Amino acid sequence: MTTKPIPGPDGAAVRLTGLHKRFGPVHAVRGVDLLIVPGEVVAFLGPNGAGKSTTIDILLGLTRPDAGSVRLFGTDPVTAVQSGRVGAMLQAGALLPDVTVKELVTMFAGLHRHPMPVGTAMELAGVTDIAGRRTQKLSGGQAQRVRFALALVPDPDLLVLDEPTAAMDVEVRRSFWSSMREFTATGRTVLFATHYLQEADQFADRVVVLAGGAVVADGTGAQIKSSVAGRTISAVIDAATADDLARLPGVLGLDRQAGRILLHCNDSDIALRALLAGFPQAHDIEIAAGNLEDAFLELIATSRQDIEQ
Amino acid sequence: MTATTPVAMTARYALISTRLAYRNVRFLVLTVALPLLLFLLYANLYRGQDAGDGLTVVAYLMVSMASFGCIGAAINTGARIAIERQVGWNRQLRLSALPGSSYLVAKAIVSMLVTLPALILVFLAGATVGGVQLSAGQWLATGLAVWLGLIPFAVLGLVIGFAGSVDTVQPISMITYLGLSILGGLWFPVEAFPEFLQQIAKLTPSYWLADLGRTVVAGQGVPTEAVLVLAGWTLVLGAVGVWAYRRSGTKV
Repeated sequence: MTTKPIPGPDGAAVRLTGLHKRFGPVHAVRGVDLLIVPGEVVAFLGPNGAGKSTTIDILLGLTRPDAGSVRLFGTDPVTAVQSGRVGAMLQAGALLPDVTVKELVTMFAGLHRHPMPVGTAMELAGVTDIAGRRTQKLSGGQAQRVRFALALVPDPDLLVLDEPTAAMDVEVRRSFWSSMREFTATGRTVLFATHYLQEADQFADRVVVLAGGAVVADGTGAQIKSSVAGRTISAVIDAATADDLARLPGVLGLDRQAGRILLHCNDSDIALRALLAGFPQAHDIEIAAGNLEDAFLELIATSRQDIEQ
Repeated sequence: MTATTPVAMTARYALISTRLAYRNVRFLVLTVALPLLLFLLYANLYRGQDAGDGLTVVAYLMVSMASFGCIGAAINTGARIAIERQVGWNRQLRLSALPGSSYLVAKAIVSMLVTLPALILVFLAGATVGGVQLSAGQWLATGLAVWLGLIPFAVLGLVIGFAGSVDTVQPISMITYLGLSILGGLWFPVEAFPEFLQQIAKLTPSYWLADLGRTVVAGQGVPTEAVLVLAGWTLVLGAVGVWAYRRSGTKV
């Protein structure tokens, strides 16, 4: 019971094979395969409903897949969790009411086989200053940090974070990622879900893009950017509705920025011709090479077409 | 953080959860106050009267009211479980080394421990205001009999906590609590019921809990039938509880 499971023969921290999960008519996860080696920091990137949380729940053994298998360090998820090799930060909830932060972290540490000192986990998560506060009196960002402390305290080899920065403001988010860096510097494996592209690009060695319940791209941020020919057209277009512009051929998405319209395109040539024909009043036009945002939008759009076909 | 066996973890989780339950002062007052007040009222009315079978009316009522309060406390664990489930704490617990079976045992232990204030205070009132005179051994035997007889109610609390939601758990607990107390003859003697209700009463665990306590307090030994019925209820409710627990884990 107390011996650590031996890593799988292939040395993988995470091995997901052919995962499928349906909730009634919704096919939430359709054939996810994923291999993560120890020490990797991987981002799960995708819009809401892409299947990120369901995949994470399956990975942690909280949800049973309809098909496929999960191995964490060569064992099943429940064994890996019970031996303290996995720490996880779930989305929302998960804080016991009527206890102080310190009591909660201490209690959770007491339910693991080889926890790290409670003080260390609280310091890493940056909750030392709110140790004496009751959990129901925390702000959203503080509660997230407490959840982070709960994920750290088992002293896990694999850390799984489901949208960790969702309720945080910009400053808290920055300090969260700096404490994450401290933790990953020790060679742990991290998998985090996010719909912030910037986070995925900045903090992950590898970005796995999920859309419609399937992996649609897998590589470094730079690889994903270069794999798609996305470009952005930026222009000042007076008296044009967003709907009309978004419907132009070659346009995937639209943003407004300081009086300018940004059109994210998968074919900027076609989009530009259509724009000039339809909106001759457009002026100050610029075309920029793609960023991860464009790549992301294109990947999602492509996968949506695939699913519809 | 030295002991890491499942038994040590179960004990630790049970202790922490009990401490949290005792922080809920409102719940403690409610489960203790009503049976205690009723007992004090009855004790004044029936002081010195004989209930037959070597039992005074006050001793009979002391066992009834202690059982009444304890059932309420044991069942109330369900409300806490439902709240913890709703906030997602149970998902978080499934990410610890605490096995599901240990969790269930720990919660049942909590149910048993939160019954103690009602049991001890009603017995204390019996010994002082009520003038119930027993030997130290008899007090201990009666207290232990009633307390151990509460095991099926502790399990019932778990069943309610996993079958109900935060919104439904209060009414379910209340109906079960009052229903079992009245039907089991804790408020009025079962003999005062119409014949068909008497038959139904004898199916309830509360009837047999009171029977167990009264037989022991009268110094007539441990009634086998009561023990068997209470054990049967424990097994049936335990099976339902495990089923409800598993089912609650696959939802969310």
